[in-house]
Amino acid sequence: MRFSVSRIGLFWTFFEPFFQVLIFVIIKIFFFGQLSNNFDFAVFLALNFTAFNMFRNIVNKSMGAFTANRGLFVYKQVKPIDTVIARSMVEVFITGIIILIFIMIGFYFQFDMHVKNLGMVSLGFVWLIIFSFSLALCLAVANTFVNSVSKVVGFLMYALMFGSALFFTVDMLSPELQTIILYNPLTHFMEIIHGSYFYTLDLIHVNTVYMMLWTVSLLFLGLWFYMKLEKKIVSL
Amino acid sequence: MVLYEAGKEDSIIMIKLKNVTKYFQTNNGKKYILKDVSINIPSHTNIGILGRNGAGKSTLMRMLGQIEFPNSGKITSPNTFSWPLGLSGGFVGNMTGKANVKFVCRLYGKNNQEINEIIANIREFTELGAYFDMPIKTYSSGMKSRLNFALSMAFDFDYLLIDETLSVGDTRFKKKSKEALMKKIETCAVLLVSHDMKILRELCDAGIVVNAGQMYYYGDINDAIDEYENINKKAG
Repeated sequence: MRFSVSRIGLFWTFFEPFFQVLIFVIIKIFFFGQLSNNFDFAVFLALNFTAFNMFRNIVNKSMGAFTANRGLFVYKQVKPIDTVIARSMVEVFITGIIILIFIMIGFYFQFDMHVKNLGMVSLGFVWLIIFSFSLALCLAVANTFVNSVSKVVGFLMYALMFGSALFFTVDMLSPELQTIILYNPLTHFMEIIHGSYFYTLDLIHVNTVYMMLWTVSLLFLGLWFYMKLEKKIVSL
Repeated sequence: MVLYEAGKEDSIIMIKLKNVTKYFQTNNGKKYILKDVSINIPSHTNIGILGRNGAGKSTLMRMLGQIEFPNSGKITSPNTFSWPLGLSGGFVGNMTGKANVKFVCRLYGKNNQEINEIIANIREFTELGAYFDMPIKTYSSGMKSRLNFALSMAFDFDYLLIDETLSVGDTRFKKKSKEALMKKIETCAVLLVSHDMKILRELCDAGIVVNAGQMYYYGDINDAIDEYENINKKAG
């Protein structure tokens, strides 16, 4: 559904993250110099951005899923939640392709892409998918009944982009900032992903109980509200 | 829809409404479409549904198609209903006509061979030409309803729910679709919302008048039309 119309849209979907990383690497080198030599900053950014973009796209695309697919609800077989599941699946699939592209680019330019713990990185991604889906479902329901939810989420995403340890690790921050940024559940996801990827990083700031609490409560809330309001959404 | 056991009496009943209440919340309180309506509608008849604008004809159709739900009470039937064929909805704008047809075929569990046959038939019947492989959003409303009509002819339902779609399209297509519908209703029945008395008399045997929160069944369509005209006269 995302690509059926323009080919140029297809191109940008896969190369936007590449340019994103390129720009931030250039900014960093020009303004801050080579800050750390512990790990390859380009790989670090590529990894974080892939994960964050997946999260952002699942949430953003799912939020409008109910209204965009209203036409399909004339078939009783189609339940509104199907549209959220479908859009999330599409985003996960796209992320998979983007990861492949990044790996190919990495091999070509001979970046150091050694993974410390592939299992943990995968777990981080899978968990992030479930977390994103839960949040997306909550927001999709909310967006149907409350105006301007999508606007608020729009700039919250900007805040999250700078406040989720995408450009840095939690370790680099001062202790005060660390406590604040760790209230953000997305920080934990980013930490688990890059912490398990690089040999020089660790998982000491990751609180899996806190992550689980967020995931379970969002999933529960989303499903509960959806269940209560499904019929209303169908006959919008 | 809850299936009930088909006993002797029930076998002649197609739709059973039990204490059905349906209202919409407006700024001036509740607007009742149906108020505690209990009615049995016999089977094997083509039924025309009459009512003034806003009386709830389309809502009744949507409730039979199970995409709108009564606020209380129950509608039961042992039969299958098509989706309500209206002027809008039923398609994904970004996908081509062909892709939409494929999607609906899959919803109704057709295998690949059947899907190819249906697509070939629809391509021929709708005469959309190159537009059949273009996104739906490039269609005119006439083209959309042509596709919608052709699509509904491809499946076997006990009852076709048609909401004023016969009155669109050019004269030639109107004639063609009426012929197709006439052929179709040899094997299935139709529930038709229309303001065109000529079509109603031609296609329907029985009639339902929806007015002021109540619903009346007439075994003869002419009685229903008379009653409908009475209501119109009273309203001035």
